Amino acid sequence: MSKGKTSPTFAPPLHANKRLLIDVDNVSVRPQEEHILDAVSLCVHAGEFVGLIGPNGAGKTTLLKAILGILAPKPSGRIAATWHRAGYVPQRGQLYNGLVPMSVLEVVSLGLGRSQAKTDALRALESVGMAPQASMRFTELSGGQQQRVAIAKALAGNADILMLDEPMTGVDERAQAEFYAILRSLQQRGITILMVSHDVDTVLSLVTRVICLNRTILYDGSPEHFDIDTYMPKLYKEQHLRLHHHHEGSKHA
Amino acid sequence: MPDILTYDFMVRAFIAGLLVALTVPVLGGFLVARRYSLIADSLAHVSLAGVGAGLLFGIAPIAAAVPLTVGGAVLLEWLRQKKRMSGEIGLAILMSSGLAVAVVLANLAHGANVDFSSYLFGSITTTTLNDLWWLALAASGVAAVIGIHYRAYMHIAYDEESARIAGYRVTGLNYLLAAITAVIVVCSLRIVGGLLISALLVMPVVTASTIATSFRQTLVFAVIAATIAVLAGLVISFYAGVAAGGAIVLSALALLVGSFAWRR
Repeated sequence: MSKGKTSPTFAPPLHANKRLLIDVDNVSVRPQEEHILDAVSLCVHAGEFVGLIGPNGAGKTTLLKAILGILAPKPSGRIAATWHRAGYVPQRGQLYNGLVPMSVLEVVSLGLGRSQAKTDALRALESVGMAPQASMRFTELSGGQQQRVAIAKALAGNADILMLDEPMTGVDERAQAEFYAILRSLQQRGITILMVSHDVDTVLSLVTRVICLNRTILYDGSPEHFDIDTYMPKLYKEQHLRLHHHHEGSKHA
Repeated sequence: MPDILTYDFMVRAFIAGLLVALTVPVLGGFLVARRYSLIADSLAHVSLAGVGAGLLFGIAPIAAAVPLTVGGAVLLEWLRQKKRMSGEIGLAILMSSGLAVAVVLANLAHGANVDFSSYLFGSITTTTLNDLWWLALAASGVAAVIGIHYRAYMHIAYDEESARIAGYRVTGLNYLLAAITAVIVVCSLRIVGGLLISALLVMPVVTASTIATSFRQTLVFAVIAATIAVLAGLVISFYAGVAAGGAIVLSALALLVGSFAWRR
């Protein structure tokens, strides 16, 4: 942590004797004047279900991209990853909506070797209950179904860690419940999960560990020890003020 | 043998047309999926500048156009990747500049204007054996690149970021796709014409998309639609005495309208 910053709260360790999959060491990302991430350090161990929460602009997606290796930590920091294969589920708005049809099976087969692509893809679709839709166009599915297919795509090829970036934004509650049940069962099967989300209540009810980020880590520990009354004002104060000003402004207009 | 095939120039036109129909829509599938439909149009305009330079300096027009168009394609991809300029603006500038240079150079090359118009709209009578070799070489290159990197390009079409995470060298593959698009566009100029080539990249793919349920199926249907359009267009061009490019594109348009009507 850099000097002058509030010390983050760390609950007792939840991962004794578990294999270390991700080690983020003092990572800062500062593309221009302002930090997006400032001296962030965290570890993820095998079998954990980690929820990464924080307001808009907190650096959650940036951290995820740095962990995935598609964004270099600059100006400082080091990230070590020891997973066998990582699966990534992007935000719903980033899912394929191209003009050329792609079948569900084709989407899940992407990134797999030619020889075992179909078998592995079908197995992954079965694990999320989407095998009957294998030959449908991906774009004909509902938002919730598309995200389940995205999970299958991420899992195909025996991923041992799944990283999800706001997967349920704009999806109805029933589809969300089905989606989160799938995530729970995957975690029970030993798959490590790191999920970025806005939805604090869902994260707290779902994960084994919560990391609260606002450019720097404010909390890293068990959901049971997370004091929502302490952290929510810290996290969302800025956005609350912005909304308040906007509201006041429109009243005066 | 039908009388149309007794003419050497028509046999050459049919071979050239089939090579175009077998390769251009496949490339088009990947470009349309990524919303790059206008890239071929822009590159075709740049290639016309190369043709103009070739006519002016007495170099084979296709040979002059290939390096210039590949350079334009690489520049476009660089601008897109560095986000220095919106894709649409880059395409618009390249398109109008390419055509402006082409027209000026062609005017300077006195007496070559008649030949230049064949590069604009396509001509069945002017396709030489040399053009055919260039086209066969380009088509083989496209087939090889797509055959080797089919899954990678499909993954990139789905989502560039997840393709990077899967370990594909997305930046290099994007440059390669831009370069082979440039080469096939140049080599198709003689038969379809620079102003109409993008239609053959896009229309068969859109036609196929209305009925196909998968990417692979779309590419197969697009090749079939392009083949029908090229064959019909060449026959119409021969008997009606109209420009080959125009007849081919109108045939492709008829198939597109037909596919929409059938789907309704």
